[in-house]
Amino acid sequence: MSVSRRQMLATAANGFGGLALLHMLARESQAAERKPHYPAKAKSVIFLFMDGGPSQMDTFDPKPRLTRENGQKIPIETPTTVFNISDKVYGSPFTFQQYGQSGAWVSDLFPHTAQCVDDMTIIRSMVADHSEHTAANYFMHSGSGFQGRPSMGAWVNYGLGSASENLPGFIVLESGLIPPGGMDCFGSGFLPATYQGTLFRKGDHPVADLRPLESDPTLQRDKLALLSKLNKGVVRRFGQVSEIEATIANYEMAFRMQSAVPDLLDFSQESEATKTMYGIGGKLTDEFGRECLIARRLVERGVRFIELLSPARPGIDRWDQHGSLESGHRINAQSTDQPIAALLKDLKARGLLDSTLVVWGGEFGRTPCAQFPDGGYVTRIGRDHNPFGFTMWLAGGGVKKGLVYGATDEYGYFAVENKVHVHDLHATMLHLLGMDHTKLTYYYGGRNMRLTDVHGNVIKDILA
Amino acid sequence: MLSILLTFAAPLLAAPGDDFFETRIRPVLAEKCYSCHNAKLKSPFGGLTLDTAPAFLKGGDSGPAFRPGDPASSLLLEALRYTNLRLKMPPTGKLPDSVIADFETWIRMGAPDPRSAAPPASPKPSIDLAQGRRWWAFQPVRKPVLPNVRQRHWVRSPIDAFLLARLEAQQLTPAKPASKRDFLRRVTFDLTGLPPTPQDTSAYLNDNTPQADERLIDRLLASPHYGERWARHWLDLVRFAETNGHEFDNDKLDAWRYRDYVIRAFNEDVPYRQFILEHLAGDLLPRPRLSRDGALLESPLGGGYLWFGEVLNSATDSVKTRADTVDNQIDVTAKAFLGLTVSCARCHDHKFDPIPSSDYYALAGILHSSYVREDVVDSPSHSGIIQAHLLKLDDINNTIRSLRPLPAPRPSALRLRPGDVLFEDFERGAFTGWYASGAAFAPGPRRQAAPNQPIHNYAGEAMASSFGPGSDRLTGALTSKKFNMPKLWVHVRMAGSKGLKSGKEREPVRLTVVADDHKSEHFVPTGKGGWEWVTVRMTKEINRSCYFEIVDRSQNGHIAVDAIVFSDLKDPPPTDEPPPGPATLEAAIAHPQLASLQAQRAAVEAAIPESAFGMISMDENPRNVRIHLRGSHRNLGQEVPRHFLKVIAGDTPTPYTAGSGRLALAEAIADPSNPLTARVFVNRVWKHHFGQGIVRTTDNFGKTGEPPTHPELLDYLAAAFVENRWSVKQLHRMLLLSSAYRMSSEASEAAARTDPRNDLLQHMPVRRLEGEAIRDAILAVSGKLDRTLFGPGIAPHISRYQDGRGKPKSGPLDGAGRRSIYIQVRRNFLTPMFLAFDYPLPVSTIGTRGSSTVPSQALLMLNNEFIAESARAWARHLLASQPEAARRVDTLFETAFLRPPEDWEREESLAFIARRQSALAARPDAAENAWAGLCHVIFNSPEFIYVR
Repeated sequence: MSVSRRQMLATAANGFGGLALLHMLARESQAAERKPHYPAKAKSVIFLFMDGGPSQMDTFDPKPRLTRENGQKIPIETPTTVFNISDKVYGSPFTFQQYGQSGAWVSDLFPHTAQCVDDMTIIRSMVADHSEHTAANYFMHSGSGFQGRPSMGAWVNYGLGSASENLPGFIVLESGLIPPGGMDCFGSGFLPATYQGTLFRKGDHPVADLRPLESDPTLQRDKLALLSKLNKGVVRRFGQVSEIEATIANYEMAFRMQSAVPDLLDFSQESEATKTMYGIGGKLTDEFGRECLIARRLVERGVRFIELLSPARPGIDRWDQHGSLESGHRINAQSTDQPIAALLKDLKARGLLDSTLVVWGGEFGRTPCAQFPDGGYVTRIGRDHNPFGFTMWLAGGGVKKGLVYGATDEYGYFAVENKVHVHDLHATMLHLLGMDHTKLTYYYGGRNMRLTDVHGNVIKDILA
Repeated sequence: MLSILLTFAAPLLAAPGDDFFETRIRPVLAEKCYSCHNAKLKSPFGGLTLDTAPAFLKGGDSGPAFRPGDPASSLLLEALRYTNLRLKMPPTGKLPDSVIADFETWIRMGAPDPRSAAPPASPKPSIDLAQGRRWWAFQPVRKPVLPNVRQRHWVRSPIDAFLLARLEAQQLTPAKPASKRDFLRRVTFDLTGLPPTPQDTSAYLNDNTPQADERLIDRLLASPHYGERWARHWLDLVRFAETNGHEFDNDKLDAWRYRDYVIRAFNEDVPYRQFILEHLAGDLLPRPRLSRDGALLESPLGGGYLWFGEVLNSATDSVKTRADTVDNQIDVTAKAFLGLTVSCARCHDHKFDPIPSSDYYALAGILHSSYVREDVVDSPSHSGIIQAHLLKLDDINNTIRSLRPLPAPRPSALRLRPGDVLFEDFERGAFTGWYASGAAFAPGPRRQAAPNQPIHNYAGEAMASSFGPGSDRLTGALTSKKFNMPKLWVHVRMAGSKGLKSGKEREPVRLTVVADDHKSEHFVPTGKGGWEWVTVRMTKEINRSCYFEIVDRSQNGHIAVDAIVFSDLKDPPPTDEPPPGPATLEAAIAHPQLASLQAQRAAVEAAIPESAFGMISMDENPRNVRIHLRGSHRNLGQEVPRHFLKVIAGDTPTPYTAGSGRLALAEAIADPSNPLTARVFVNRVWKHHFGQGIVRTTDNFGKTGEPPTHPELLDYLAAAFVENRWSVKQLHRMLLLSSAYRMSSEASEAAARTDPRNDLLQHMPVRRLEGEAIRDAILAVSGKLDRTLFGPGIAPHISRYQDGRGKPKSGPLDGAGRRSIYIQVRRNFLTPMFLAFDYPLPVSTIGTRGSSTVPSQALLMLNNEFIAESARAWARHLLASQPEAARRVDTLFETAFLRPPEDWEREESLAFIARRQSALAARPDAAENAWAGLCHVIFNSPEFIYVR
């Protein structure tokens, strides 16, 4: 910042709420928008994170051989799994059908999402590195299986800056479930704290410390008025210290956030038809429907990276169906399917889908082999974790429409064709946002760190 | 023409297979393989290049890809067929079966390959150690003479001469001295992390002697809060955490003992060299240091630092999991003590610093030969006191036994079934293969239950019992060696006090299966009073690296284990159970003397002092490891002897053969001739006093770090530090009793123009307090600070905005008023207020925290209930202690900012109070609320959280 601007501030740092310069300072402190490396297709990302690991062969990757050989020993070498499960094949309890012009196969878990396959690229050949939830969650989010690396939403905001003036650039919406690994899945790691994900809980007061202590707004304003008067003295006493000035300006941003968030959550201007489409008010769909509608409203407000966590369901442990796969996956799907389809349709209808990359998937997939009841935790058949081949889908933001990409083997265990590693997904996501993943670096611990570490290739085949 | 062509073509045409290669094989190699496997790459994948015939034939890191003529043994075909779980090529997807068949045919043909040309000379870079040693940080420390300066009166401490010489060379003048008040506030926060108390303030402001500063600094260095402040700086370096993170965030039970150890070490000015030795080898020192009261072994507690990293709760690969733990240990050790990024050499030679990958694995061997256990750290004299009580107890119980001799017991028989494996029944007469710690289990298995021990079906079997010769008060641990869990079921025949049914490591008595360093499954007695089988399924533990620990940390409980059996069967093996007898042996004794003997015994028991547990490193199975090619534990290269870094220890370092080698490593790091150790440490201390290090990159003195701004000053400090017997307090005095540290934070115009980074230290920087210091200051000024030292951590307050697995029960909002260092560091539930102010994640060494400005800070200070509650407490305190409003404002400013308000500030404050009080007139707490509002505004002032 130039000395002259600072001098102006030193003499003018008073009127709270009305000073354009303070506003500019606040934007500097919040990492104002920056230029991408090259023209971007997508401006925002919505990550529909299906915590726990949905099963690929029960959703988007049908494997008739599993049905034919149900109960038989799998004839391929299989890796160690977390629960050291059986080697018996488990045929999908769900039925598959082809949809749309593209004829993509989708199971009866997702009748609504299935209507959108012509807008989607379904990747059936995802590969990740870790078999345990926590490491896999860190890996999916940060490209590293360990705690403490920046999450992709933090990288995106570090690279592009926030386009929102009064909301954080990386927002995580949840309805009662935080993934294993906790808040570090959304952390800024070694990047400045500005870029960390802000958790929005369900309900009227989604963000910590956002609600003014005083119910009468004039009382808080009076406090801030006194503060800004006293700050004049501070600026005079301390001299031109940019940290002090940024701290003062920071209160401006905080003050605006206090009203921006209630405004975000006020659905009174949304039509009944819209709310119904999202499933708001529905028995199972209400929570995720609200998350999806908030996501659209966040996209409209310029928030760069929005992550949605699947809602808590009593007796069901996320998408992590080691047992009771059929009923567990069914309820998870019923909770999210209609809202997701509504989000895609709504974004499309408003012309936002082309500039919004929507990503769906879990931290890994599941095994084709059965995890049988063990007299304890597992009471009905389920499946164990499988990072060697699983499905994710992308829509909007510059990816091809109606494409099914890659393949797993005939059992759905290993990706065998056009493998897409999580690093590749990250590279492709950054590419769509206009960033070269090899150039988006931050110096830490003796070297330039990247979201993709030393890996990652942009999957050109899926770019529109 | 024709003959020439023939001459050239002859070799091609002579081998019919060449054509096959050119049409069927080469195009596939070029399209699918060359991009990762060509000789031009600096490090081709898997060390394999395919673009020349000799290289293709030679193979890569995993050996030859094929033998000509022998398709059956070909690794290449395995990879192409995707049948090898670890090696599937090409990675983008399996080739069509017809293409794979072509490769098989080609190998069977003898692998004809007409491509000539030897592979280009290996591009593998070899590290030039001699060249690397020329880097300034590897040069020996040489104590320079003080430079000549013009303004000699400004030189109070040697450091002033070095700084002033540079300033004078740039025609800059040091800033004038700070006011006494600013200096007092600065040095008090720097040394204790707390604001000055009113008594401190008046003592210092009224001391007008030339020794006032010195007296102040000595008083602060003698304060027990000094150790708390500087321990926190140290904890940043060792990624201190009290839980394991990962899925369930389990407790590291004794981590807090390490925190207290560090606080005591700073307060007692333990020489840094000793501190280093204790960190790496405190359990191996021939003469361990004792605590001041003589009860505790201090030295072994230092070794806990190796184990504060993340711990996986369901590893699927024991070898990789351990390798990752070791990597984190190397990373932290090298950065914290040496300022080097050694862990960069895990996958390849370090790209910038002279650290070959073999050096990394030389250190890795040391750490692979070490592990952690729950260990009692009582000093020999403390153990002696306990032993004396046990002898008395034994005497009393023998007298009770003699009152009425009981019939010889008939040992029960264990009937193992086919497939059952007896791991232990303690019948061998000693704890062979086990490590006993503390008084409870020692000296060995017992064949006699104490008369007061409640095992109603005891029949003379040997057992590991924590009841000792007769008391529930005894504590201790018994740890087995490591083994691979062989079966799906583990049955334990045990007895003891009823547990908590928590399923967690906090069970006071338990037998635990520790799998890959995670306390994975717990066997807990039911308290029914007799032997019983407890069975746990090893669903996740089977085939993983495990050990058992039998632990009694209860002052009023015990555990006894008779047998541990591995089994394929869910049901325990049958035993011939004797009929239940009386609850205890002595319950059957009716004798007039019994009651008085029992009373004597109770008195002895009550006098048994407590034991202390710690997280202690120990050696196990010392061994070298092999280089992991490209960091993969599945691709092993040559074995490397354990030794220190070659860049320091010389080209042929002495191999470490005694135990793990930790003690030798400790001595190498703490050697006065080590060019890094003292430099790195004095730079850290400098950073905390002057805002930035002389080397800005405090954790990286290598080539990718920044060079020192004042190299001679750094060397002077390092040399003086070693000369002063590594005394940290002497170092503080040298830095703080300087004209430099006494400067104000006002930059001269010339300095602001020519040295915007303040590299030359023309003035002192303005610094923001850390989150912990802000919280502590709020507690201190509001009168809520509890200055108690030490002890188990306070559970963190958990708001509704924190969630996830392993969520702990919330602690009090105000942390019970304790200083921030005593709030438990729960890896997955770090305190939001600290995080908002750039608290370092406990993952690696952080010598320099960030100082960001984010809206969450302002929101927290404005709206967080802890801040508001503290403001109310402060207001109540002010209202009660100061009747007059204007004086109250004065007190408030004095307490928060160490200065009286200016007149206009007083007026504005009183006007605010008046407005607020009238707005809230209807409320009974209008006055308190109004004053709390003012206190709240003061907390939000930048003047409260910045120090100049």
